[in-house]
Amino acid sequence: MRYRIVLRRRYKTGVFFEGILPVISIIAALLFAGGALLLFGVSPLAAYRAMFRGALGSGYGLSEVIVKAIPLVISGVAVALAFRMKVWNIGAEGQIYLGALASAAAVRFLPSGNQVVMLLAMTAAAIIAGGAWGYIAGFLKSRWNVNEVITTLMLNYVGIHLADHFIYGPWRDPSSLGFPMTPPFPPSARLPLFFGTRVHLGVLAAVLLVLLFRLVIRWTRWGFEIRAIGDNPRAAEYAGINYGRNVALLMFISGAIAGLAGMTEIAGLQGRLQPGFSPGYGYTAIIVAWLARLNPWGIMMVSFFMGVLLVGGDTIQVIMRLPLASVQVIQGCILFSVLGFEFFRNYKVLLLRRERE
Amino acid sequence: MVSAGRVPLVSMRGIEKTFVGVKANSGVDMDLERGEVHTLLGENGAGKSTLMNILSGLYTADSGAIVINGEPRILRSPRDAIRAGIGMVHQHFMLVPTLSVWENVSLGLDDQPFFLDKGRVIEKVGDIQKRYGINVDPMAPIWQLSIGEQQRVAIIKTLYRSADILILDEPTSVLTPQETRALFRTIRQIKAEGHGVIFISHKLDEVMDISDRITVLRKGRKVASVNVKDVTKESLAEMMVGRKVVFQIGKTLQNPGRVVLEARELVVRGDRGRVRVDHFSLDVRQREILGLAGVSGNGQGELCDALAGIRKTEKGSIKVDGCELAGRRTREFQKRGVSYIPADRIGTGLVTGMNLRENIALRKYWRKEFTRFRLFIHWENIAGRTGQLVERYSVVNPGLGFPARMLSGGNLQKLMLARELSDDPRVVIAVQPTWGLDVSATLFVRETLLEQRDRGAGVLLVSDDLEEILSLSDRIAVIHNGRLMGIVEDPDSVTEEQMGLMMAGTCLEEFSPPSGDGSLGQEKEVTPSP
Amino acid sequence: MKKFALGLVCLMMVIGVSVAFAFQPVAEKDLKIGFVYVGPVGDGGWTYMHELGRVDMEKAFPGVESFFVESVPEGPDSVRVMETFIRNGARLVFATSFGYMDFVQEVAAKNPEVIFMHCSGYKTADNVGNYFGRMYQARYLSGLVAGKMSKKNVIGFVAANPIPEVIRGINAFTLGARKSNPDVKIKVVWLFSWFDPAREKEATLALIDAGADVIAMHADSGAAPQTAEEAGVYVVGYNNDMSHYAPTMHLTAPIWNWGMVYKHVVGQVTEGTWKSSDIWWGLKEEFVGLAPISDAVPTDIVALVEAEKAKIIDGSWDVFHGPVKNQKGEVVVKSGAKMTDGEMLGMNWFVEGVEGDIPK
Repeated sequence: MRYRIVLRRRYKTGVFFEGILPVISIIAALLFAGGALLLFGVSPLAAYRAMFRGALGSGYGLSEVIVKAIPLVISGVAVALAFRMKVWNIGAEGQIYLGALASAAAVRFLPSGNQVVMLLAMTAAAIIAGGAWGYIAGFLKSRWNVNEVITTLMLNYVGIHLADHFIYGPWRDPSSLGFPMTPPFPPSARLPLFFGTRVHLGVLAAVLLVLLFRLVIRWTRWGFEIRAIGDNPRAAEYAGINYGRNVALLMFISGAIAGLAGMTEIAGLQGRLQPGFSPGYGYTAIIVAWLARLNPWGIMMVSFFMGVLLVGGDTIQVIMRLPLASVQVIQGCILFSVLGFEFFRNYKVLLLRRERE
Repeated sequence: MVSAGRVPLVSMRGIEKTFVGVKANSGVDMDLERGEVHTLLGENGAGKSTLMNILSGLYTADSGAIVINGEPRILRSPRDAIRAGIGMVHQHFMLVPTLSVWENVSLGLDDQPFFLDKGRVIEKVGDIQKRYGINVDPMAPIWQLSIGEQQRVAIIKTLYRSADILILDEPTSVLTPQETRALFRTIRQIKAEGHGVIFISHKLDEVMDISDRITVLRKGRKVASVNVKDVTKESLAEMMVGRKVVFQIGKTLQNPGRVVLEARELVVRGDRGRVRVDHFSLDVRQREILGLAGVSGNGQGELCDALAGIRKTEKGSIKVDGCELAGRRTREFQKRGVSYIPADRIGTGLVTGMNLRENIALRKYWRKEFTRFRLFIHWENIAGRTGQLVERYSVVNPGLGFPARMLSGGNLQKLMLARELSDDPRVVIAVQPTWGLDVSATLFVRETLLEQRDRGAGVLLVSDDLEEILSLSDRIAVIHNGRLMGIVEDPDSVTEEQMGLMMAGTCLEEFSPPSGDGSLGQEKEVTPSP
Repeated sequence: MKKFALGLVCLMMVIGVSVAFAFQPVAEKDLKIGFVYVGPVGDGGWTYMHELGRVDMEKAFPGVESFFVESVPEGPDSVRVMETFIRNGARLVFATSFGYMDFVQEVAAKNPEVIFMHCSGYKTADNVGNYFGRMYQARYLSGLVAGKMSKKNVIGFVAANPIPEVIRGINAFTLGARKSNPDVKIKVVWLFSWFDPAREKEATLALIDAGADVIAMHADSGAAPQTAEEAGVYVVGYNNDMSHYAPTMHLTAPIWNWGMVYKHVVGQVTEGTWKSSDIWWGLKEEFVGLAPISDAVPTDIVALVEAEKAKIIDGSWDVFHGPVKNQKGEVVVKSGAKMTDGEMLGMNWFVEGVEGDIPK
């Protein structure tokens, strides 16, 4: 008897797929990665214990997970907002750099000893600069229908090199022995930290943005317009929704939020601007937004989960003496599995008996 | 007609096919004899297309047997079906627009040499044309051809592959009456050559005209297979719907009032920049339905988009209640009371991923009663309104919070009507409003449009279905190639033939006053083959 | 409990601002050491040499337990890595790249009982010391070899980042090269990255295109020697003996011997004699040295190298003793004068013979 495999698109998903499947997929990933760990000659259980204890077993671990999650949540919201309108903003990374660059400029050229004034100036600078960076792509899209994937991606490189130019050049700290970094920010330009950990004010910004994202998408006219365009641009046009104006505005806001992520990262953690300060948050944000299915709570959860993987990864290296590569194998397995199970959410796999020939 | 002992050309037995829990075909049997036209009749969603897609190899049946020429076959792909001698002409022809006719014909042939033998292909195409009386230039690129001509290319393509069994899926929906007649001549020729033709349609008049036998499907099941001489239009309709159908709709006489929609010398370009509407003018008055007849793709869509403010007008004026709106934003049109029911309800009129409330809100969300502080959407009010409308228009739905894509075609259309016709619009522009709907939904839509007319709106009705235009309209405008061919003030005074000539590009002034139908008499003499 | 501990830490910081901590000796079996690596241990260069040093140290102190985390970005992530070390019992942390400097300070302030050694930095604290080597001495010796081996009088230098450490190395190399071959010019290409094998390869090819027949390098991978070998151009490696990357074209390489420092520091910590200091060792302490010189190099040059090395070791002469001219030919260090360590640590100009700019 022969069988064939048939894929069917699912039109409806229940609690099982929304809530339980992700958990199953993570368990499957851990089993899968466990096999790889056995090949390294390491007990998978011990490794996982180390990982989760390192990330979640102590207040410190937890705080570090949150620290890692902050930029991911903020830039994840930025990306998800654009994706909701099916505008593919791949440029969060560049917008993060521009935001950081502008807030560093604020520190340099408009210094203030008053923390509130200084931070507000930095925030405004970051929002304007990141927003402008996004607006370039939005404007080109609305005016000449230039593909935003290309423009935002290209602007990433421009943004990063622009930041490098200032860091290596005119803004370089004279006392850094020529090392490429700006002078350290004064205390007034640093975000307040909480509970003696490194969790900074950015966490409030992140939570606020998630709530705001939810509010805008669900309850405002603009959010409705964004969703309508995202779901069916022709219907949106039919409904009298102006695509051009919305795409430009959306890219400005998306860029502004990403810029804010850049500002909180350097004002909260780094305390100065240096090259490569973002280890690809803008790109990870795309994965975050996607895994979260553009859902605000999802963005929070996925970012937190990413933080667990990163922080736990350190502990595995220290305790299990594993090379970074093996940690990356675990992280990769988990991401791969979560994405892979998405497939089962979208398709039903049937094993059908073949008709006799 | 089925004589014992003779092997039918096609025999389908106990075909079952289920999609996501919906039984599309359930134990369907169907036979096709050599030299017959067998019509598959049924409402939308009755399972006609599914059954034919199974026969043409696009889908595989969950169970059931297909026997062709007495030989059991398993058709796993369209290629298998072509090898078995089955050719299907789809509603969308699947031709490459930039290639010529002969190139399209040779495309995808099995035994082609690396360098195409152009001479041989053209010769063979010529043979087919002569044999079946199909007229089309083999050297012409597809994009230059009319829809009717493209259909002929698709038919040539299947005949070129020596198809013994020809499936035509709603072929007449894109044709003028004249073209339809030409097509029927070809079909009869094919039949005379001993091939079998399966014809899919829901236009009962045509079905009665061309068929030898008719199989009626309802909700995935076979209702009956009957010889055409044993049935009437009414009995067929009853089989299709499952109850008695009244064809007549009560249309009262109305006195049209002031002009509500006035278009003058409109020029509109299509998506590719070509002029699709060419200095077009029309008036729609209160309490009248102005029918716009034309073969589809002659600029009706662009014209209506422009009149609803969705497409930019290059030149000309559009006035609603005397107020100039050309060049204004879509929303200005909406505020002036222009409702628009576009042809493509899934692609344009609705957002199928959004729920019912959101779809009702789609063209109304900005209104004062649906917003709070001008910034937020008042979902409670919208939900309340949606509830009322869904009830009034009897939209069968699983719940207001479910995505619209879970609604059937008829209910989607009702949902759109509910939105567009609710707030007493001044102008209603309806394009193909009954396309693809079943008989009862069609009646509902037609009655609703008449209600709007009687209430005092000006209605512009666009349809490919001449019968629909003729029965609903108070006046009829005919469009061809973006130009106005004329306005018929009294629909009862015009014949289908004259309409067909206008739709094919003859101006109203060019032929004698509408009195008789002699000019096309010879066409009428064609008698059905025995 | 945690709050209490935190309060205690703050209190100790206030009291202990100017009082040097007396670090008690730590028994070998109690000593756990964390290494923060900037690259992957398999980079075949900088991090690989630190890893060899760590293994060397573990051999000398079998009771000591040490662990590392590799590819740690020079940013706030390094704080978490160091904290993770400490939370897993580390009493001593080696941070092996300059970019960790501020973050070492941050973690050190919170963990005054832990000793930190930061490689190549300049900020100290009661529990933070620095260590680095006088690599310029070995660079100078390798320059002697390279200068003589260049026939076209053009040497290409693949340089990571325009910082004093690298500039100092290029200058020392140039002084050596021009001592053995006064006509030679050194062309510099900046990578703006420490570890980027692809760019290292590109830069090498660009320099060969520009006429260089000897390549020298300051980067963390072996990409440049590999490329030079393929192109048939002599190459001077860095960090370790890179002759396995370029078996026929490798001349020599200025190399690190981190194990010397690691053993020294661990010894101090176990004995209880450690206190904050800057370790800046050179040829004399065998912290830096020269990889075996290729047979292709004439014996008179090998002899010259030995002679110069002896002078440096006995302290009678060092590389940046005057006269030293800058790119414009102006004398910067007068005859008889010498640069101080401070001046060398902040070097931001090129000597005569270097072709290239220092990005400002």
